[in-house]
Amino acid sequence: MNTLQYGWRNLWRNTRRTLITLAAVTFSTAILITSYALMDGLMEHAVSNATNLVVGEAQVHAPGYLVDRSIYKSLAQPDRILKKAREDNIGAAPRRYGYGLVAVGTKSAGALFWGVDPARERETFDLAKHLRRGKFLPQKPDRTMVLGQKLAKSLQAEVGSEVVVVVQAADGSLGNELFTVTGILKTAGDSIDRNAALIHSKDFTELFVSGERIHEIAFNSRGRVPLEELGKLVAQSAPGQEVKNWRQLLPSVSDMVNLFDAFIWVFGLIFVLAAGMGVMNTMLMATYERMREFGIIKALGATPYRIIRDVAVEALVLAGIGTILGSILALAGSYYLQEVGLDTTMFAGSYTVGGVAFDPVWRATLSIKGFVIPIVLMAFISLVASLYPATLAARLDPVRAIHRP
Amino acid sequence: MMTLIKIFLKTLFLSFSVSVLLLNHSLLHAQEQPLTPKQILDKVDDLFRSQSSHGLATMTVATAHWKRSLSLEMWSAGKEKSLVRILAPKKEKGTATLRSGNDIWNYLPKVKRVIKLPSSMMAASWMGSHFTNDDLVKESRMADDYTFEITFIGEGAGEEIVEVTCYPKPEAAVVWGKVLVRARMKNYLPLFVKYFDEDLRLARTMTFSQVAELGGRLIPAMVTMVPEEKPEESTIIHYEKMDFDIGLENDFFSLRTLQR
Repeated sequence: MNTLQYGWRNLWRNTRRTLITLAAVTFSTAILITSYALMDGLMEHAVSNATNLVVGEAQVHAPGYLVDRSIYKSLAQPDRILKKAREDNIGAAPRRYGYGLVAVGTKSAGALFWGVDPARERETFDLAKHLRRGKFLPQKPDRTMVLGQKLAKSLQAEVGSEVVVVVQAADGSLGNELFTVTGILKTAGDSIDRNAALIHSKDFTELFVSGERIHEIAFNSRGRVPLEELGKLVAQSAPGQEVKNWRQLLPSVSDMVNLFDAFIWVFGLIFVLAAGMGVMNTMLMATYERMREFGIIKALGATPYRIIRDVAVEALVLAGIGTILGSILALAGSYYLQEVGLDTTMFAGSYTVGGVAFDPVWRATLSIKGFVIPIVLMAFISLVASLYPATLAARLDPVRAIHRP
Repeated sequence: MMTLIKIFLKTLFLSFSVSVLLLNHSLLHAQEQPLTPKQILDKVDDLFRSQSSHGLATMTVATAHWKRSLSLEMWSAGKEKSLVRILAPKKEKGTATLRSGNDIWNYLPKVKRVIKLPSSMMAASWMGSHFTNDDLVKESRMADDYTFEITFIGEGAGEEIVEVTCYPKPEAAVVWGKVLVRARMKNYLPLFVKYFDEDLRLARTMTFSQVAELGGRLIPAMVTMVPEEKPEESTIIHYEKMDFDIGLENDFFSLRTLQR
């Protein structure tokens, strides 16, 4: 009789205990895989929201620009940087920024004006599709404006509202103009929500008398180019300028991703240990119950190695069945969560964490890593957990074991 | 501009309160019931409330990136109302600011719209100068928000001067942690005002110079504001013409006048 069959038979000598342990292993595996997929989904969502929406994977600014956002600190040779990005097939969007005042009717508020190139924003980022109402800026400048959600709310602006704009132009003069609201953004991070007023770069240049000044170029390859390589490529095309990747631009999101990653492994380890304890308990009980049996086997000439092997294989069979069942369960669960997702609207509407917008529907992302590692871990811990009872059995003195009551 | 007038008036008012304080001090022995500081400030308030003025000035703003001059025409009445209109250059011609109490409206002739300044923009620059919108408003609150104390009387720069230090009251929502005013003893014309931030670091200095007779009064015709952090930058207001007590109607300071 081969060892596997032997283990299988031994397992079902106490059906209830085996079923309970099997359930523990099954659910631990399922929960581990599913929760990892959920966390992975959340993080992937956060990172892609953080980068694809508007920040990009990297940005370049004039040295010190991010400190005071002075309209005078503009990029040197932005054309060269944009041309290089095009050659490297990396999406790049140039942006101009300036502070000013926006007013609708009797309501007014301070705003950060973004002079954007609508075509490039459309092809590189998701912001142009991230609208709650209305449309994004047209390709040609026509004095239209897209407002951040909270800014629009505080101005009580709707699509079609007329906006009076007053700014301090780069030459010291007072720039003022009438714009029409063409769209209102969805939640896109706190600072955008509160003060972003997007206008066409040509309108911006006219309003701010800012000439060729470009304050930021945001790059996005949508994960195609690794972060380090992207940083190097950008730095080459922009010597002396400040290049930052999204982890530096959004340290809170980066920290959050790292923290969650660590958290999920600690969490996973606890699950695996708990399941391992279950396996160990079963195997211990099974061993104690069969002390006489082991004694007789030993007396008949079984080596300690054979006993360890038998007990370990029994545990592995148990863990194997548990993990297979668990992964089937996890696959079904993750697939559901990936396709349908958890709707958290009842707890919170759309929300932002660390300036990054999250969708209220929480979706899982199942990766090979998040699937294989829990299974391997579970099998490994079951094996380790069985070694202790196996060693106990292997070290039995046959004579005393046989005479055990 | 009216900010200027206002700040200037505030300074005058401060120096005046100093004078009243001093006077009060000397009268202490003669008079049984001396005026409390509050009463003194109220008296000063009343003095300015009845006053109206009209003037012409040039504001020259120099920053690290540009330098430009604006011609201004301004009106004020009491402590609560003022109006400033830009006469030149062409791009800003007709742009006007109306202040009534704590509210500020700007008229933009290019788009023919009036906008009310949001409270979040109070700390922002007025017309690109080193004065803030808050400067237009806060000065009438000086008596409410600050306590006054004479910190120096004596010889300075070859003449008798007096120095008054203003500290914000604990509950007052103010920008400055301390305001220091120096004036001549002789005629209480201000010399300078130093503004200190909440950490009591010097933030900016307003200097008064070129004393001249304008509108029948002896006043400093030039006011210079220099931010401490950028000493190469400045805003200079030069008063060319001033008229006092011209009897402006109260409804002069209306949104209608603003748009004219």
